Amino acid sequence: MDTVLEIKNLGMSYDTTEGSVSAVDNVSFRIMNGEAMGLVGESGCGKTSLGMCIMKLLPENAKITNGEIIFDGEDIVPKTEDEMRMIRWKGVSMIFQAAMNALNPVYKVGDQIIEAIVAHENIKKEEAREKVRELYKLVGLSPERMENYPHEYSGGMRQRAIIAMALACDPKFIIADEPTTALDVIVQDEIIDEIKNIQKKLNMIMMYISHDISVIAETCDKIGVMYAGNFIEYADTFALFDNPLHPYTKALMSSFPSIEGPKKELKPVPGEPPNLLNPPRGCRFYPRCSYAEEICRNERPEFIESESGHFLACHRVI
Amino acid sequence: MKKIENKKASQIRQIWALVRKSTFIKLGVSIMILFGIMAVFSPIWIHINPEVYDPIIGADPNVHGSVGPSLQHPLGTDDIGKDLFSQLLRGSQVAFMLGMMVSVFSTIIGAAIGLIAGYYGKIWDTLLMRLADIILTLPRLPLLIVISGIFGTQSNWIILLILSLTFWPIISRVIRAQTLSLRERPFIESARVSGVGNTRIIVKHLAPNVLPIAFYYLTVTVTGAILVEAGLSFLGFGDPSNMSWGMMLQWCFVKGYVFKAPYWMIPPGLCISLLAFSFYLIGVGLEEMVNPRLKKR
Amino acid sequence: MGKYIIGRIIQIIITFFIVMSIIFLLFRIIPSDPSSFLLTPSMTAEAKETIRKQFGLDEPIAVQYFIYLKNFVHGNFGTSFYSGRPVMSIIMERMLNSILLITTAVIIAYIIGVSIGKAIAWKRGSKTEKFFVILGLWFYTTFTPWLGIMFLWIFSFKLKLFPLGGMITPEKWILDPSLMEKICDMGYHLILPLVTYVLLWFGGYMLLMRNSMLETLKEDYIVTARAKGLKEKVIKNKHAARNAMLPIVTAFAISVSFSIGGAVLIETIFSWPGIGRTIVEATLRQDYPLVQGAFAVITLVVLLANFVADIAYAYLDPRISY
Ligand SMILES: Nc1ncnc2c1ncn2[C@@H]1O[C@H](COP(=O)(O)OP(=O)(O)OP(=O)(O)O)[C@@H](O)[C@H]1O
Ligand code: SF4
Ligand SMILES: [Mg+2]
Repeated sequence: MDTVLEIKNLGMSYDTTEGSVSAVDNVSFRIMNGEAMGLVGESGCGKTSLGMCIMKLLPENAKITNGEIIFDGEDIVPKTEDEMRMIRWKGVSMIFQAAMNALNPVYKVGDQIIEAIVAHENIKKEEAREKVRELYKLVGLSPERMENYPHEYSGGMRQRAIIAMALACDPKFIIADEPTTALDVIVQDEIIDEIKNIQKKLNMIMMYISHDISVIAETCDKIGVMYAGNFIEYADTFALFDNPLHPYTKALMSSFPSIEGPKKELKPVPGEPPNLLNPPRGCRFYPRCSYAEEICRNERPEFIESESGHFLACHRVI
Repeated sequence: MKKIENKKASQIRQIWALVRKSTFIKLGVSIMILFGIMAVFSPIWIHINPEVYDPIIGADPNVHGSVGPSLQHPLGTDDIGKDLFSQLLRGSQVAFMLGMMVSVFSTIIGAAIGLIAGYYGKIWDTLLMRLADIILTLPRLPLLIVISGIFGTQSNWIILLILSLTFWPIISRVIRAQTLSLRERPFIESARVSGVGNTRIIVKHLAPNVLPIAFYYLTVTVTGAILVEAGLSFLGFGDPSNMSWGMMLQWCFVKGYVFKAPYWMIPPGLCISLLAFSFYLIGVGLEEMVNPRLKKR
Repeated sequence: MGKYIIGRIIQIIITFFIVMSIIFLLFRIIPSDPSSFLLTPSMTAEAKETIRKQFGLDEPIAVQYFIYLKNFVHGNFGTSFYSGRPVMSIIMERMLNSILLITTAVIIAYIIGVSIGKAIAWKRGSKTEKFFVILGLWFYTTFTPWLGIMFLWIFSFKLKLFPLGGMITPEKWILDPSLMEKICDMGYHLILPLVTYVLLWFGGYMLLMRNSMLETLKEDYIVTARAKGLKEKVIKNKHAARNAMLPIVTAFAISVSFSIGGAVLIETIFSWPGIGRTIVEATLRQDYPLVQGAFAVITLVVLLANFVADIAYAYLDPRISY
């Protein structure tokens, strides 16, 4: 299998009036062809920030401080905005977290998808329209809906339209950032199934971001666990569920009795995540970790492969 | 408790850091300080020789017709030998006072009406906000002219009153919106049910949310008040018992000196514009800080 | 939509009615002699009698009020004390002159302001942005008559490039020139007040557009547009500006009411025979019928501008359906 996306030592921070927020730090992982990778972590741990790094859609106060993002054999970190334009949506597309406002209120939804296709593909508007029609069917929307404005859609329909939009240019890689947060449970399940099926059918690679480890377990082949900007564990879904190694992941798992169990907000460990303005010097989990040792306080644990295909950042287990 | 205080202190420090970084606020405050000094200097200058320098009753008997700047009259005199510099200084007092008072009054009226409309809702809300709409759509300067015409003689108090009565609607809308959103919060609901100190709670919780915005509208209102008052004075509807910049320009205009005496024509207009400018600059600077949606992407 | 429009029209009528009633009360209650606003000592006894009849001055105040309203509805504002002409015909003529100046100026200021505002929002934080904000603000807060006088002094008096005021050169018009010459002459008189006006007003639109644009650029759909790999120009003009324009449409209506205030001052400085100058002169001459009429018409125009803006907004924003 080929590596489609490889991230090496990625670091990103936001400049704020109070100082620099280290939202992504020392993150490394790779995704192979056809794989779906899940990303879990508490709110504010930097999941969206990581996704935005990959699209290089960062706000003005953010910058990538170090590392490489190798997509399709090329490092995209040094690429200019113009070069990125070619990669966006065709190479990497995204299903946004805040689907409510991701569509422009003054244009018809269909036109907004057509626009994306026409920007990348050398085809006529009519052909693009035909394609959007197909996409609408694929995500379970009636094609007549293309002529409606976003406010005329329900939340679930809007989310489906956004999925259709993300698929519009047949991207190699799709980032789904909590695509179901704003929806009720039944619609959530439907949409998650939809995404899973489409991913397999179209054989894309995917990064699925969620608070909810059970959703990810259902959807993804691999799981990455993030804590306070760091990647702390990365492994096959089965390996991770069978044998979680990191104290944080362990706590996470124990708070979900079974994969099919009820979905809960992620809050497995007592205490608060650290302030990213001034994170702990050593292991960022140190203040909340019940296995902590002296070394954890001062030394940052490396993110290394502890078993074949199972990556981990923790002093104690090694 | 301690933690909250610390948080407040750091908030203030943050705001201060932002203020110091804002070009607009720095520029605005510098200009304003200049006029502050002028206002304070006014009585001192008159004190040197009241008979010549008093802006209302003083005149230089040795001067015939308007003369240009000299040592004795740094800005020259008008056509009857009155010192223009002392008029300009007095004008800065009047402009400051009037602008500030209008904005304070209209903020008080606006806050009261906004609170009532937002808190009591229903018919009050509809009535008061329709009234605000009507006042906002009225052409202000023509209205003031018409009212001045009806009153015949004009005094700064009447101008003050009318300006305050026409400037409140914008502020009241802001306050109302904040009150409405506050009203939905649970603690207000419980206070309402128990019937204790609603108003106090509202004011207490409202103030921190509204103050920065109110402050912004305050500065913008001062600008409006200064310009409208100057416009009225310029058209001949000013308070004749006092001296304002608008009036200085009016005299220059009606006496036919606008092209002959630039030393008379330029300073008052420049002062009006600069003072209005400085307040608005501060307003824009504040808005940048208060409105998170204007921050950098 | 139709229902909404009718609703708005009713609202406008009510507002207008309220304003007119206030004016009526002010004019009857404040002067010591309530008839002084219609009768001047210099009138002949006959003329006085006609006016007394026409306005029902001998009737109780309630009846007077109805007569006043009836006269308004018929467009009868009485006769100007000063010129003796019917108020309505004076106002019509002056209004046209004002509209020529104000509409041209407001449209130009709007186009300039909105384009600059759009551009500097995109260049947020740059020196260019600061420069234009400060420049726009400076003109926006410049004292109108002063700017007018400065321009007259520099361009007309010193450089002799433009006339010192007025709307036409009477000497030329007596000779009955061709239409083209008439238009050129008017244009020549129009330039200086127009430039003054535009300079004074573009800053307001510019700031509004900039702020609106900055807020819009924060919206999620702008991120979507960038993520889709659209060109900068498309994002700026199609996605951001189109949404940012919405609040400006409303502001446009409000600005009409303010620009009439500005017109009062500019018309006075440039001796432009418009409605603003009319109301000032009439007030100074205590020509009350003319004051009343002019104010009524100005109010009506402002209300209509608001109405048009509302309709335009509804048309531009698909989320609004009445
Ligand atoms: N524009 C920004 N400026 C400054 N700090 C930011 C900005 N955006 C995010 N952050 C900070 O970066 C950290 C990571 O945020 P991010 O949105 O990536 O978290 P997340 O894992 O996606 O959270 P959630 O699950 O709630 O979506 C947070 O601490 C947040 O406060
Ligand atoms: S490195 Fe130490 S503190 Fe961090 S998770 Fe492992 S044991 Fe806990
Ligand atoms: Mg997120």
